[in-house]
Amino acid sequence: MSTFRVLVLGAHHFVGRSLCGAIRVSDWASCSGDEPGFDERNPASLSQALAACDAVVNAPYGSPAAIGAAAKSLYDLASRLAAPPRIVHLSSMTVYGSAVGEVDENAELRADLGDYAAAQLAAERRAAAYPNSVVLRPGCEYGPACPEWSVRIARLLIARRLGDLGAAGDGCCNLIYLDDLTGAILTALRLPEIQGQAFNLAMPQPPSWNEYFTLFAKALGAVPLRRIGHRQLQLESKVLAAPLRVAEILARRLRLPVRTPAVLSPSLRRTCQHEIRLDSSKAQNLLGLRCVSLAQGLAASAKSLT
Amino acid sequence: MMHIANELPEDSLLTADICIVGAGAAGIVIALQLVDSGLDVILLESGGLKADPQTQALYAGEVADERLHSPPDRYRQRRFGGTTTIWGGRCMPFDAIDFEARQYVADSGWPFALQELLPFYPRANQLCEAGPFAYTTETAFGGPLRPMIADFDSRNFTTNTLERFSCPTDFGARYGQKLRSARNIRVVLDANVTALQLDESGQRVTAATVRTLAGRRAKVQARQFVLATGGLEVARVLLASSDVHRNGLGNAHDVVGRYYMCHIAGTVGAIKIKRPLQGVWHGYDISDEGVYCRRRLALRPEVQRNLGIGNFVARLHHPRITDPAHRNAVLSLLFLSKPLIPYEYAKRLHGDERSSVRAWLRHVGNVVTDPFDAAAFAWHMLKDRRLAERKFPSIIIKSKANLYSIDYHAEQQPNRTSRVSLTQDRDPLGVPRLKIDWRYTNGDVDTVTRALALLAGDFEHGGVGTLDYDPATVEFEMTRYGAYGGHHIGTARMGTDPRTSVTDADCRVHGVGNLYIGGSATFPTSSQANPTLTIVALALRLAERLKQESLRDAARHPLLQPS
Repeated sequence: MSTFRVLVLGAHHFVGRSLCGAIRVSDWASCSGDEPGFDERNPASLSQALAACDAVVNAPYGSPAAIGAAAKSLYDLASRLAAPPRIVHLSSMTVYGSAVGEVDENAELRADLGDYAAAQLAAERRAAAYPNSVVLRPGCEYGPACPEWSVRIARLLIARRLGDLGAAGDGCCNLIYLDDLTGAILTALRLPEIQGQAFNLAMPQPPSWNEYFTLFAKALGAVPLRRIGHRQLQLESKVLAAPLRVAEILARRLRLPVRTPAVLSPSLRRTCQHEIRLDSSKAQNLLGLRCVSLAQGLAASAKSLT
Repeated sequence: MMHIANELPEDSLLTADICIVGAGAAGIVIALQLVDSGLDVILLESGGLKADPQTQALYAGEVADERLHSPPDRYRQRRFGGTTTIWGGRCMPFDAIDFEARQYVADSGWPFALQELLPFYPRANQLCEAGPFAYTTETAFGGPLRPMIADFDSRNFTTNTLERFSCPTDFGARYGQKLRSARNIRVVLDANVTALQLDESGQRVTAATVRTLAGRRAKVQARQFVLATGGLEVARVLLASSDVHRNGLGNAHDVVGRYYMCHIAGTVGAIKIKRPLQGVWHGYDISDEGVYCRRRLALRPEVQRNLGIGNFVARLHHPRITDPAHRNAVLSLLFLSKPLIPYEYAKRLHGDERSSVRAWLRHVGNVVTDPFDAAAFAWHMLKDRRLAERKFPSIIIKSKANLYSIDYHAEQQPNRTSRVSLTQDRDPLGVPRLKIDWRYTNGDVDTVTRALALLAGDFEHGGVGTLDYDPATVEFEMTRYGAYGGHHIGTARMGTDPRTSVTDADCRVHGVGNLYIGGSATFPTSSQANPTLTIVALALRLAERLKQESLRDAARHPLLQPS
């Protein structure tokens, strides 16, 4: 029986890795993109892989420049194919910029949240111009091994450097569990009628960031939760974040066997205050998005970390 | 949006669906609940974002007996956030018995039972940043904690109920940004409401008259008005709004300002616990959410009923600070730090009594003989209270000799003769000033006397220790510092009978269809509990009523448009 061949770009990052795993246990698709020797940044290699697949999942990661370059290369090459394959493009909720309130897919897209958001928006525009794409805009991915919204948060909670932020944590925490995201991607690969559409992906009744931190800290056993005051937040995000980031990069590049402290970045601080609520009803209706409960998701996340 | 009344054009006419007067705990919570409701809301606040002596002085007034009540401009704040800018943060719900009409407590009984407020308490707890609505050791901590007093098994008191502590949350600082960014809320600062105007029938408020200290005037028209200016100022505004009803709004039966209650509180006796030091725990337990919780000795409701006395709780406390005989370096350090402690807290910590030079020197001696204890305590207070955003709530001194006193907080019973009224004197805006005539009754003395006797008996019978106190001094001790500051209750009480109440069960003023009262002024009885959590719960309930009522009312009473 012939299988549906899916090329995963970004297969070595956490979303791509999870997706490859899910495809491999499916009975209808096969996966490529994570084999040794494949370099998605090499146009010749990418071109060859595109010619040998039925659909692509673009799960970009890295610096804004890397995201931009990867999108340009992918959509340029794919457009030249005689039968352009379906590309499921993983964008981000950051394309809504500083919008507040409930936001559905028709909301204005704005590049007013820094370079990362601008790169995501530019990449998404390339996807929109491509004749056979579906754009997914996930919120904050959480779950086992999700580096930003689970691992980093857990490390900060355990170190008592994150906790109840008061007014600074009242923002809406638009979580999407990694398995739910993977499921939505798999569905988006196979539905012809959603071509050219975009979908928000987040749990339907999201907690505030304060609630997320509280529940996650309880799941981790990192209690009692600390109240983090304005002064400490300023210190973390304005003074410590930059040197810690530099130390993290240096340690990685020099392959030092040390784990530098997690970074409470200015963007994390901004996100925790941002009162934007993703409306994912379209994904629920058309992609069949069903989210695990927050309690289940947090229990699994905590179990993987302890 | 936030506006300054002084920057509005002269004689501005503002219109809204709902006008809330007063941005304290009640007013801010009601406004928060109306964010994105589709209703146009104006929140008027007399003060600005910071304390201002001139504005605060608008609270000044008279007190009938200065020994029994603090001056009217103390323990409350006329600024955005109201008195939450200085409160202590102690949260607990009222007990079921507090809502009952008790034959032995005159004029007791709320127009509804505790069940009516239960749906609102969890959110109230959240807004107060006091963690989940869990007020027993079992529900808050999943099981019993180390005992407060080992082997203490009382027939008269429970030991598993909690008080939880807010940060304490300044509602203005905490929720101001949410209100500022809400598209349907206009906050107007420096806007003093000097009176509420009625239509010709005298049954609907048409406008709130606003004046600023700089002389600017404005008027706010709305379909619904909420007066949430605090337990004393609610009565003042109602009484001062006398252009149609000579006795003031809602005052056809001379009830406004009467039944004024605070709480009866004091520190008495000497407790000697006959258990090892580790068998006593009178400090705080910290919940998973990081909230400070503390257990109390709470008088069981069946005992209250059997004896016909009011509600009462007590905590183990340190000995009296002013007496250097305690020989405790920390307590003496607190005594010597008196000038650094705000009036509202210093009063009960130190009292107003003058100390002799000899006493001062003995306190210095106590500190000098145990400087490490004093230094450790000073560091703890700096780190966990002064610099912390969630503040360590109070002074806890572990006695090395297992010696304590009893700190109690008791219900004050409703008393028609305890009242606030207007004087002939007027503030700079022309509003008559308040006179406070707070009175307690024999019933209040009886509550404390009998509860203390029960407690002493329980210590004795259980063999866990002794409580020595002089029953003859109970009344003196319970009024040593006067009425408990800051808890202003009952001046516009809820009820079904306009002859003994000011508002109905929905907090709507009898006979005035569109005027509601927010805050502890509406409490018919005072409970043992501090009022803020219940103020917030009632405000949440009122906000729901306002939403429903506004939908009905919009059709019946279209707003007058400015000409």
